[in-house]
Amino acid sequence: MSLRQLLLRLPRYLGASGPLRGPLDTISSVISCRGQSSRSPAQWNQVVSEAEKIVGYPTSFMSLRCLLSDELCNIAMQVRKLVGTQHPLLTTVSGFCSSEDGDLGLIHDRQNNLQLRGLVVLLISKAAGPNSVNASCQNYDMVSGIYSCQRSLAEITELIHTALLVHRGIVNLNELQSSDGPLKDMQFGNKIAILSGDFLLANACNGLALLQNTKVVELLASALMDLVQGVYYENSTLAKENRITDDIGISTWKEQTFLSHGALLAKSCQAAMELAKHDAEVQDMAFQYGKHMAMSHKINSDLLPFIKEKTGDSLTFNLNSAPVVLHQEFLGRDLWIKQIREAQEKGRLDYAKLRETIKAGKGVTSAIDLCRYHGNKALEALESFPPSEARTALENIVFAMTRFS
Amino acid sequence: MQSYHPGPWGGSSTWHSPSPPYPPHLISLSLSPESCFYLFLVVWDLCCCTRVFLSLRQAEGLLSSCSAQATLCGDFSCRARVLGAQDPVAVVFRLRCSEACGIFPDQGSNRCPCIGRQELFISTAELREMSEYHFDGKGKAFRPIIVVLMARACNIHHNNARNVQASQRAIALIAEMIHTASLVHDDIIDDASSRRGKHTVNKIWGEKKAVLAGDLILSAASIALARIGNTTVISILTQVIEDLVRGEFLQLGSKENENERFAHYLEKTFKKTASLIANSCKAVSVLGCPDPAVHEIAYQYGKNVGIAFQLIDDVLDFTSCSEQMGKPTSADLKLGLATGPVLFACQQFPEMNAMIMRRFGSPGDVDRALQYVLQSDGVQQTTYLAQRYCHKAVSEISKLRPSPERDALIQLSEMVLTRDK
Repeated sequence: MSLRQLLLRLPRYLGASGPLRGPLDTISSVISCRGQSSRSPAQWNQVVSEAEKIVGYPTSFMSLRCLLSDELCNIAMQVRKLVGTQHPLLTTVSGFCSSEDGDLGLIHDRQNNLQLRGLVVLLISKAAGPNSVNASCQNYDMVSGIYSCQRSLAEITELIHTALLVHRGIVNLNELQSSDGPLKDMQFGNKIAILSGDFLLANACNGLALLQNTKVVELLASALMDLVQGVYYENSTLAKENRITDDIGISTWKEQTFLSHGALLAKSCQAAMELAKHDAEVQDMAFQYGKHMAMSHKINSDLLPFIKEKTGDSLTFNLNSAPVVLHQEFLGRDLWIKQIREAQEKGRLDYAKLRETIKAGKGVTSAIDLCRYHGNKALEALESFPPSEARTALENIVFAMTRFS
Repeated sequence: MQSYHPGPWGGSSTWHSPSPPYPPHLISLSLSPESCFYLFLVVWDLCCCTRVFLSLRQAEGLLSSCSAQATLCGDFSCRARVLGAQDPVAVVFRLRCSEACGIFPDQGSNRCPCIGRQELFISTAELREMSEYHFDGKGKAFRPIIVVLMARACNIHHNNARNVQASQRAIALIAEMIHTASLVHDDIIDDASSRRGKHTVNKIWGEKKAVLAGDLILSAASIALARIGNTTVISILTQVIEDLVRGEFLQLGSKENENERFAHYLEKTFKKTASLIANSCKAVSVLGCPDPAVHEIAYQYGKNVGIAFQLIDDVLDFTSCSEQMGKPTSADLKLGLATGPVLFACQQFPEMNAMIMRRFGSPGDVDRALQYVLQSDGVQQTTYLAQRYCHKAVSEISKLRPSPERDALIQLSEMVLTRDK
């Protein structure tokens, strides 16, 4: 394999779009996957590509420095050895197979998130602009209204997210079944998953140190801690999946979802403000936007299996997604368990049947309401920023996520 | 020199030298009251700083290492009295990371007031338990000891101040945390089942959770690091994290050429072990003293001691028995790794080359390699190499102004050579 070929493939190995692929190409490929989603693909595509133009350069967040390093070539080589095994790392990093919960929406969503996080950090940096009061202490290297340190931050956000995505793909060796293939392959897969995740984290730490701002380091480190906890909860609920749902109310669900989906974006947005020396109030608004936008985004993707026009019977959904949790809350635990039992046939859950049951209840509509509630909160937070094309782009992202028709 | 010190053992404990009649093995410890007091201060700093379960065993280990009398193992209570405690059981001070600095998430500090569900608490508790699993005081606490001693030595060198700054204590904590995070991940990578005499995190909770525990410890270390509020220090310790990962990558590859192979081995040793010690020594020196020459001394001391430490670790993998090490021996061979003794043995027995290249993968390779190593002078040569690194470390640290802590660091480097676990 030539170096160029290798490099071309690297981003795919790591589940990210690299600098060698056109940004629009990547975005549109992600969008096209969402063909059947509730959002109009053309409209979503437009929102994102306009947003990309605003931030001035491609949202390819894995820096070339990182991609060209020996270690990454090493990882790519090692991952190639995994091809043909059943290790989930392969599915995580290449993003074309089904995930552990088989939820197609979630996968596409993950790919989409990958682009979106960095993009939002850049957009909000631009929307806030340079700090007028404290202009003297700024870095001079501003491109398209965004400081280079804010661009690094967007990259770090993606690195942390991707690292956890890779670490999510570790398998428990003592729970392997014969269908998983040889133990040795799985051990090797785990090894590579740990190493590549750690490598990305080390790069993130390195990038953070270069920002020379202790508050930003603390914010992103705490975001990493939140994310780890969020993934931990997610894993523990996934482990129980297909058997019975967690007895959690929507408030607990929101707390867990903030950790696993919102904290990183919220704190990165806040950190972007800190880098431009904006005051605490602006930082808080950026945090609020990131948080509510991420929540709204997560609920939107949770809703996909319930509002698609045509759905394959085989399509499953996460029993701990927003509409299901809300449905359970309306119904009461006992009735819900009864409904699950009714949808079970020979120990297998009939998702199509259960979906119809849930759609008949109030869970879906209140999830839509919740999605809009967070969307509105995000828009409210934006009001404190001066009108600009970047702000409009951030608003459009929210509009695209809260449109259900 | 009779001085009250609000020790970690509660208000009633005072420091005093052991009252006669001395138990026979304590007399041979031959510590002057003054040096005993300094040692006590070091122990106290450690308690404040590591905020991990630091047991008397470590305090003991420290005392004996500082006085280079480690072989004189006396009974528990007598040594406890040297340290100023009446009741040895009460001496097991359990300052936990989480309680002391609120870094790990706990029930009281959940950001969102709305939660109170039991599931969340149970899973958080489990995550905490995993993260604190290795902070149980059973480790050698080698890194925090060096870091605290170095902090004091640098402070004395700079302005004769003996106190350790809070930020320097934090570095000792962070060093141990980074080390532990890497242990947790290494154990998954190697699929190891025991460490420090107990099961590894991945064997108890499974790999999926263990990797998160490692990440959580790393994030906690990063938060603590950021809170020190010094960007230079952040850069120095970030280098460690990068080195640890790069070292792990070096371990994946192997070199055909013999000379290259040895350089590769030493580079790996530096990155995986010595970088942490070197850079945390440098970090405390940066915090304690503005002179770049001192930073370099601290770094060089840590680097050389660290390499020597790992070389001896590699020797012990061949010479020690499992009970002593708390982990299985010949582990490196089983993992396909050619360490110092193997590389030296290979010079005498070129037939080992093939085995190294196939990473001891053929049946019987591990046993044959072990025999070759024991027949060769690989163990002695590696020990000799470690000695050379230690001498370098001693000559570096000797450039600092004399102090009991400096001498303790010199003795510690000798301890590294003679340790058997």
